[in-house]
Amino acid sequence: MEFKKIIKTIFFTEILKGMALTFKSMLSPAVTRQYPEEKHPAMPGFRGLHALVVDPATGKEKCIACGLCAAICPSQCIYIYSTEGPDNKKFAERYEIELTRCIYCAFCVEACPVGAIVLTEHYEYTDYSREALYMTKEKLMANWNKYMAGPKGEEYFKKFWHPTADDYRAYDGQPMFRKREG
Amino acid sequence: MITITINNKEIRLERPVTVLEAAKANGIKIPHFCHHGILEQWGGCRMCLVEVEKMPRLQTACTLFVTDGMVVMTESETISNARRSVLEFILINHPLDCPVCDKAGECKLQDYVMQYGPTAGRFKEPKIRHPEGLNDPLIVRNQERCIMCTRCVRMCSGIQGASAIAVTNRGNHSSMEPFSGERFDCEYCGNCLTVCPVGAIMSRLHRYSYRSWQVTDEIQTVCPFCGVGCTMIAQVRDNALMRVVPKLGLGSNKGLLCNRGRFGYEYVGSGERLKNPLIKKNGKLQPASWEEALDTVASRLKDIKNSSGGNAIAGIAGARCTNEDNYAFQKLIRGLGSNNIDSIARMGFAGGQRIFEGMLGPGVTSTPLSGIADSDAVLVVGGDPSEVNPVLGVHIRMAFKKGAKVITIGHAPGLGRHRTAGLLPHPQADGVVMGGLISAILKDKKSLPGGNRPLEEKITVMHLPSADDAAAACKLSAEDIGRLAKQLAGASSVSIVVGREAGGNKDTAMLVSVLSYILNARIYLMSERPNEQGLVDMGCLPDMLPGGRPLAEEGLRKKCGASWGIDIPADEGLTLMEMIQAASSGGIKAMYVMGENPAFNLPDTKNTEEALRRLDFLVVQDIFMTETARMADVVLPALSWIEKDGTYTNAERKIQRLKKAISITGMEDWKIVAEVGKRIGLKMPYGKAADIMKEIARVSPLHAGLTYADIEGGDNLWPYKGEPHKNWFSFPELSADAFTSPAEEGLCLMLEKPLFHSGTLSRKSPALNSISPEAVLRLSPATASGLNLKDGDFAKVSTEKGSLSLKVKIDRGIDGPAAFVSNNFEGRGLFSLTGYRLDPVTKSPLTEGRQISIEKE
Repeated sequence: MEFKKIIKTIFFTEILKGMALTFKSMLSPAVTRQYPEEKHPAMPGFRGLHALVVDPATGKEKCIACGLCAAICPSQCIYIYSTEGPDNKKFAERYEIELTRCIYCAFCVEACPVGAIVLTEHYEYTDYSREALYMTKEKLMANWNKYMAGPKGEEYFKKFWHPTADDYRAYDGQPMFRKREG
Repeated sequence: MITITINNKEIRLERPVTVLEAAKANGIKIPHFCHHGILEQWGGCRMCLVEVEKMPRLQTACTLFVTDGMVVMTESETISNARRSVLEFILINHPLDCPVCDKAGECKLQDYVMQYGPTAGRFKEPKIRHPEGLNDPLIVRNQERCIMCTRCVRMCSGIQGASAIAVTNRGNHSSMEPFSGERFDCEYCGNCLTVCPVGAIMSRLHRYSYRSWQVTDEIQTVCPFCGVGCTMIAQVRDNALMRVVPKLGLGSNKGLLCNRGRFGYEYVGSGERLKNPLIKKNGKLQPASWEEALDTVASRLKDIKNSSGGNAIAGIAGARCTNEDNYAFQKLIRGLGSNNIDSIARMGFAGGQRIFEGMLGPGVTSTPLSGIADSDAVLVVGGDPSEVNPVLGVHIRMAFKKGAKVITIGHAPGLGRHRTAGLLPHPQADGVVMGGLISAILKDKKSLPGGNRPLEEKITVMHLPSADDAAAACKLSAEDIGRLAKQLAGASSVSIVVGREAGGNKDTAMLVSVLSYILNARIYLMSERPNEQGLVDMGCLPDMLPGGRPLAEEGLRKKCGASWGIDIPADEGLTLMEMIQAASSGGIKAMYVMGENPAFNLPDTKNTEEALRRLDFLVVQDIFMTETARMADVVLPALSWIEKDGTYTNAERKIQRLKKAISITGMEDWKIVAEVGKRIGLKMPYGKAADIMKEIARVSPLHAGLTYADIEGGDNLWPYKGEPHKNWFSFPELSADAFTSPAEEGLCLMLEKPLFHSGTLSRKSPALNSISPEAVLRLSPATASGLNLKDGDFAKVSTEKGSLSLKVKIDRGIDGPAAFVSNNFEGRGLFSLTGYRLDPVTKSPLTEGRQISIEKE
């Protein structure tokens, strides 16, 4: 043991080992991204800014104001005020998310029976005011149109979250008590 | 003693109950849909199946009575399979719209499916669809969700007695429908909503506005509409009242409510609520600051006291206000050197109670409501309990269903299908019938009960008409009177329900006392406002101090005055109608009105209004711009029932707690009164309502030592923890014409006490207005056809006092030549048509000038 230690001390073997790694890394390509200039592509299923799904057929939200997202939310940052619409259907008069309190767990997406809320891949929305980080229904629907419209949105639900109501869909929109197929 | 075993737990029972009840009492839950605590058993849902040893098949726990040695299992593989099958059958047609159904979260089906539920349905055929019933303004029916437990039908016909709904069609196609078609034509009690275990029948008021788990607070409080004082739970979300619900087994109402209580609460959030104090400047009411308004009130009242004396000031206390409010108010008025304090309780409640207590002893009207349903006979005089105090009416109907004899004197259409006999004398001749009944009962009983000597002496000199004479005078059959007298005399437990009209008239009130004495009957005094009894107990009477102590007793008066730091004047003040008369003659210069609307709610509207206009200074404290408030010099906005703490005393003389559920800016009535009091120099150091209760407990011997904790703990029944006032027997003389029936013929104008309205509050409730939007003239079909009037025609109703143009409504519930008009809608009240005379003893205004002529318009 003593002898090995003496050799190490005399010949700086550890420094040489370290320098070898340094030289090796010097020659390999750099991993640092020049972030603001060079964007990071979000991984599939990334949980970024919230959006309310807009039904392309009607141009209105898919949300039925059931409040399950607000109920499951661990940080209690979703506020829903529902009412009876002119067609006697239930709709969310106010749908608000306090982004500063959200923990991006996506429980809301999972709980939603109709697939009406998503977390988009957009993550650059820092701001100086709390108001800008307080999402209203209009802002959330605009988010969908901006970041998830088209095939991207359709893909999202196919790949990740499967709305439970789809399992029970029977006829003319009436949910039916039936086993998930396949 | 019966011993049974449920889930290996030994249970001992005093009397045979059903397995379900035995299990429930011992904390074992058995799932069920069709069973409900207040409904009769049905055994139709098959959810409560249990295994019983030595019985071959599963049994329904809700219909199976326990027997000694029974061994029951409530959970097992077999039972779970059976329950799962039941749920699978229900889900064949029940939609899976829980995300939008308002019942979700408190739905029994949802809970049980989570507990036992099948994971898949095997039924392939499409579900039966029913469009949602949206034609009714208050109740929405969704028959897809109905599971046919028939709770609503059993509630409607079995308890409420309205029989408005039934199951129609058969098998898969059965659905619950009202007889009247798509829109309900019923009492709108909404008790069917309470019992529905799923979301098949729901209130439209809060439809889709919140989920059951979003309720942030549930507060137990008391209904603000009538004197029954039903206990209700106010559900609050984020400082907004979402709905009120009753709770089974809680309070005198035992889980029932009426339409006013259940659907009337929306006035709280009305946009017409007064928000700022108003002061009349240049003939117009203009917004002012609290400081300015309170200073004005205090300085004007002081000026008038200095210039014209305390007796020139009068106060009308509020039957909608709490005991604390009213106590502070009478202290203020007495502090101003005046005993001129009275309230709407003068319209029959206070006077009637005084006579009953004077003849029969104190606390005679302190009778628990549950006693009615246990009576063998119920006599109703002077009002329709199922319209004035609907939940009390339901108790009478329950008694009838149990086999009690129910006899009504006068109009009581609400009990039309629930009475043995209805006697219909001339509206001013109730006394004759009662006299006839008394003499027939005495003939039957042969002797007086003995015990109350002075009263018996009184009865012997009463010159009661014989049954034959009474019958002849009222055009009734003597046989009927004889038969009813026999039924009453034969009953072992009798209840007498007395309305405002009978209480206000000293003769009728005396005869009620006599009847109550000879039949040993309980008296139930109907109370139209939530706190009429509180007004009496808090000393809002011109001759009474708090705790029902007469002003005339010097010792008590001095003691009371000393604790308030004032000299209470010894002279009795003026009663309600005397104040109005004094105001019109100039004797009263200033009036302070709290939570009342005398310009509309007192008879002879025109003269009353004129009198109020003559006042030098009128202060009105209310939550809405009433007719009286419009005339006021200063208007002070108060808080509504759900926004303040306090207590109400109901018709049973039970003190119940009101609890603050939502907070808005503003001052409670007592706080405003205390602020005025302080400016006048009175000691009113109240920080919260409980401080006033402390003072009441100190000053009033009846409420001695009473605290909110006692009230909530159940120590809330008369005479609480205190001393009732004794030794005040008094027997007024019967009037000479007590037993004569007015000879006048023809149509008689009657006051309708509508089920759907109660006055200032109900007018501002959109739900109640949607089912009863306008004042109508109710006529019997015979009267209407005689006048050539049809439903919906307009008719001009004229009396000596004036005339009104009203829509005709033909009502098959009305008997005899009577025309009913309510006093609830602005500018269209009955009191603008009638005059009054004061009863010499009770000082209640008795309606006069009932002769009307009706012309088609």
